[in-house]
Amino acid sequence: MNNPYYPIDTVLEDVITETPTIKTFCLKPVRPVRFKSGQFMQLTVPGVGEAPFTPSSDPNIAEKMEITILKTGKVTDALHELGPGAKLGLRGPFGKGYPLEKLEGKEVVVVGGGVGLAPMRSLLYGLFDDPSKYKRISIKFGAREPAELCFRGQYNEWVNLSENIDLTTTIDVPHPEWDGKVGLVTTLLDDLDINITDSYALSCGPEIMLKFVTLKLLEVGYKPPQIYLSMNRKMSCGMGKCGRCNVGHYYLCVDGPDMCYDKIKHVPNVFG
Amino acid sequence: MRFIDSTNFERLLKKLSGEGELFVPVLDEDSQKNHFERVEAFPLPEGTNFEGFRAVETLKGFAQLVRSMVARYPTEGMDEMDVEALIPTFVIVGAKACDVRAMQLVDKVQVEGEFTDPFYKARRDKMILIASDCTEAGETCFCNLLGSNPWPENGFDLSISKVDGGYLVETGSDRGKTIVEENSELFTDLREGQEKSRDEVRMKVLAGLKATNKKYPSGEKVTEPLREALSDPLWQDEAARCLECGACTNICPTCYCFLLFDQKDESGEGFKRIMSWDSCQVTGYARMAGMGNPRPRLSDRMKHRLYHKYDYLVLSHGEIFCTGCGRCIDACSASIDMREVFSRVAK
Repeated sequence: MNNPYYPIDTVLEDVITETPTIKTFCLKPVRPVRFKSGQFMQLTVPGVGEAPFTPSSDPNIAEKMEITILKTGKVTDALHELGPGAKLGLRGPFGKGYPLEKLEGKEVVVVGGGVGLAPMRSLLYGLFDDPSKYKRISIKFGAREPAELCFRGQYNEWVNLSENIDLTTTIDVPHPEWDGKVGLVTTLLDDLDINITDSYALSCGPEIMLKFVTLKLLEVGYKPPQIYLSMNRKMSCGMGKCGRCNVGHYYLCVDGPDMCYDKIKHVPNVFG
Repeated sequence: MRFIDSTNFERLLKKLSGEGELFVPVLDEDSQKNHFERVEAFPLPEGTNFEGFRAVETLKGFAQLVRSMVARYPTEGMDEMDVEALIPTFVIVGAKACDVRAMQLVDKVQVEGEFTDPFYKARRDKMILIASDCTEAGETCFCNLLGSNPWPENGFDLSISKVDGGYLVETGSDRGKTIVEENSELFTDLREGQEKSRDEVRMKVLAGLKATNKKYPSGEKVTEPLREALSDPLWQDEAARCLECGACTNICPTCYCFLLFDQKDESGEGFKRIMSWDSCQVTGYARMAGMGNPRPRLSDRMKHRLYHKYDYLVLSHGEIFCTGCGRCIDACSASIDMREVFSRVAK
């Protein structure tokens, strides 16, 4: 019988420090876990609990999985103390994942902030499978300071994959080691050189960032159906049963966690 | 439909108690309300009452325990454990239409769809359900507003209706048919007038319900205005009285929300994953790591509960998740009455 509450035994193989508060955990589950970009997992720290995370790794690889996690609560605090060899558990994948089919032939704008870059990397790996399927892949990443820009070492590699890929970054406040753009991630959406009517924008980051990114996208001409947001809610079961992650009548764990803004724009406190 | 006299009905229950634990409603002298009790021995407990209206307890707690273990870790073979074999058969007698209906609704969430909760499903499969007609309505009963009747129409194995000297028995499942066939010597054919006398009681109870609830809007007239009332000040008004105790969600037969959490096991080496009832009315329910909370105010949470039942689940599962049992009204220390709230919404 299939007990969906039982986590698959998983070994922590490696830990990569991305920023002072963000680490990538390289996991090996005892059996392969196939997921689609944007689907999420419930990660168990034995004896502490479980919490939902979207993998940051390539969805084509099922034998191993990477999850990039900000230290921000009970489970993540415990995770950040762990090193290679630790025993963990995985349930999932849950949720729908990003609507990759819809993005084909479109100018895709990917907006990530802080640890929100983590699920975006899995989306990008999905898009990088065949970049020619998309007219354009334009990546806009922001963080508070240079040290908090995740995956910085990979950016060059990404833009070199194909001519239709570009990436710009910004940090919130000036920093002595930074000679790039300064300002909130929304400033990267000013003067967009994108054919907006033929574009989709996808964003992941803290709720407050999602709110201002959405407002900015609407201001520059995006319509709600063209905006996809990786929403945050507390989750427990992952299967639409525990009743915790409602956004309006949607359960993020089943219908999301990436939601088309058009479907949720009427919900009060949609951005928390 | 068959007739069974009261003595033979008790014989039938005694026989069924051989299948597993047997629960019956027993009338509490002081409160004049039914409570489910486990039958330890026959004859049936004094005060056993298959009449009246719904018991204080719902059927929810039989299918989704207040607290139960759903996984242990790390333990070899746990993912292949045979839940069906772990859960024994049990028999519930005297459940009313609103509660049978509530289980059918919760089934849609816990059993149907991509994932099934194997524990809930096993308990539902192992539940032999003998429903019974309401012979009176409680002051807070409003099943008629939800398009239901105070007698069970489906979702049971057997259903009994009190008539002079015994019960009329309807079968509602293959298991129910088998019970009647295997005990055919206990049943007789209907006598003339018995069905009519059952129907008279039914109509009388229904008429009473209609009279009690005539000033309130029916459930189907609530959903649309509710969608227009998202920012209505009435929510702050109503929530001002709420004590945030969570009684309404605990006592509700269709409130199925739960929390999973992990506890160190007795050995101190592994952990148990516990599923526990939870209440969307308390502050921490939707609070995330980092303290973000989509429903920080009590009015947000009260609104959420009613929207979940009368709007969200209509959109996601096609049904209002309320059966009009009225328990939330009985249980509320602040006298918040869902019917009054909806009267304001649908004004």
